[in-house]
Amino acid sequence: MTRYLLRQLSLLLVTLFLLTVLSFSLGYWFPGDALVNLSGVQTLDSALYQQVASSRGFDSNILVQYFRYLSHLLQGDWGVSLQDGTPVWNEVKARFPATMELAVLASILALMLGIPMGIISALNLGRWPDRFLMGLSLSAYSIPVFWLAQLFILVFAVNLQWFPIAGQINPLYNIEPVTGSIVLDLARADHPAKSAALVDVLRHLLLPLLVLAVMPATLLARLTRAAMHDVLRRNYIKSARAKGLTASQVIFKHAVPNTMQSVTRDLGVIFSFLITNTMITEVIFSWPGLGSWLIRSIYERDYPVMQAGLLTLAALILLVNVLLNLLHAWRYPQIRQELYANA
Amino acid sequence: MPTPKLYYEERTPSPLEQVWVQFRHNMWAMIALHILGAIVLFTLFAPVLAPYSPNTQFTDALSMPPAWTEEGTIRFLLGTDELGRDMLSRLLYGARLSFGLPFLVVLAAAAIGIPLGALAAMSVGVKSSTLKHLLDVLLSIPSLLLALIIVAILGPGLDNALLAIWLVLIPQFLHATRNAVHDQRHREYVIASRLNGVSQWYLLSVVIFPNTVKVLVVQLTMALSTAILDIAALGFLGLGAQSPAPEWGSMLAKSVEVAYSSPWVMALPGFALFMTLVSVNVVGDSLKSAIDERIKR
Repeated sequence: MTRYLLRQLSLLLVTLFLLTVLSFSLGYWFPGDALVNLSGVQTLDSALYQQVASSRGFDSNILVQYFRYLSHLLQGDWGVSLQDGTPVWNEVKARFPATMELAVLASILALMLGIPMGIISALNLGRWPDRFLMGLSLSAYSIPVFWLAQLFILVFAVNLQWFPIAGQINPLYNIEPVTGSIVLDLARADHPAKSAALVDVLRHLLLPLLVLAVMPATLLARLTRAAMHDVLRRNYIKSARAKGLTASQVIFKHAVPNTMQSVTRDLGVIFSFLITNTMITEVIFSWPGLGSWLIRSIYERDYPVMQAGLLTLAALILLVNVLLNLLHAWRYPQIRQELYANA
Repeated sequence: MPTPKLYYEERTPSPLEQVWVQFRHNMWAMIALHILGAIVLFTLFAPVLAPYSPNTQFTDALSMPPAWTEEGTIRFLLGTDELGRDMLSRLLYGARLSFGLPFLVVLAAAAIGIPLGALAAMSVGVKSSTLKHLLDVLLSIPSLLLALIIVAILGPGLDNALLAIWLVLIPQFLHATRNAVHDQRHREYVIASRLNGVSQWYLLSVVIFPNTVKVLVVQLTMALSTAILDIAALGFLGLGAQSPAPEWGSMLAKSVEVAYSSPWVMALPGFALFMTLVSVNVVGDSLKSAIDERIKR
């Protein structure tokens, strides 16, 4: 396991390094002055420009510039926004929890919906529950997330008026944004109408969460079904049945844990899809997260923000993928054996 | 005159025929295939089928509901949008942008990615597992995020969105092909052919390639649905096709403002997109299981 851990961690470091190289190169690839694109400092004051240039290593060669960029990055100096001059790092700190809030809650919802669906399907293979659930999941998988969000807004928010359309909470509650994640902010805030505020938060959360959870849940259902179908034909299931275990014992003690093994392997891919959809959903529901910020920065040609958005989201996805690989190898020793046999 | 059958002859269907036989037995797959066929026809013959040009404005018929409702007229089968443009014509022309162009992009990406992937797998230098793991991790970055960054460099527009999707899809094809060929390389039947002294080209094209078809089919359909979805998403975000173009994603984005008063303007392009994606996914899925079935026998 140590060997695998080290391998995965070095892999993470190498990919993160490549990512920073890409992010640095973007400064040159975007139109305009590379120094302005990287630091966000727009000035006609040549003394200030000189100062920024020397701190960013722009009086030296490109290698020095890259290492200066890296050290600025590590010190939390991610430049300032070209639009309003606010430090990018502060904005990332405030927006990252908001995105994570959506992504994590949607993942939990998807796991809670998708895995039971897949298990039910696999146990009723070919019969109506399976056909119904698989038909449902194939069509739900194909709904573009932006259309689904629009439909939900039209039906539940505009026509039925059950839910609000945009934002995290009614601004009248005046919750001070500390972490950026509304649930955490509310939990730590000292507020006279806390339970009313919580209901309001949940009403704001429900629509984006549902929209986001649909695709990962259907993917999970399909994966679980395929894996469970495979597991149920194995000999150890037969022997468990032959030992006289009850159906529920066979399923919950033997079939489901082994099914989860191959499902865990693909969670990383599902998380990537989820993050893509989170970006679009944030735009539609005006959620103050990284995705809507990144997309807005593309309209506004705010290059430091674009780099920060790409870097944070891609690093998040890489990190989650590596962590899931580690979880997979740690939880299921037979995988480690396979890895070493091939290595 | 047909040749009379004089002798009883047992004929084994070719692999392709076997897949088709399997595929044909799946009702949903056939329905999806027909829908897909219809979409291809719309794409090819949109100017013949569409009653009007997609950008003609009928000022006497703004926001006309579809023909089956009380206020609708048969002149505009699916109604008109807030500028009085015929929805049916826009949807038919939109098939060219939202289905035809992604299809071409996928073909172009496959044409580059598959040969490169095969080359990478057959050459000795790049078979290290480190590179494979590295690509595995890097390719987990979602295609839309990469496409967004490429669009940010090149600037918004349909051409740039297509270019971005093309660039994003090539490494995926490369990686999938490389892995598929690599998995077969040390199988016994390949070693047997190699011992027979066949050339590298023969080994790749005749011995290994037919066994990678399943992976490539899956990859092609996945790429097609990714491309359709991403181009529509870029259009929706205002970074792909620009406003007057009848691209389904940008039509959806425009419909936000009128969704309450004329919901069909929002429902129809989304439905078209949804049907296209469903049929691509179902056909891909069924093709995969049909090939699986054939291999199992």
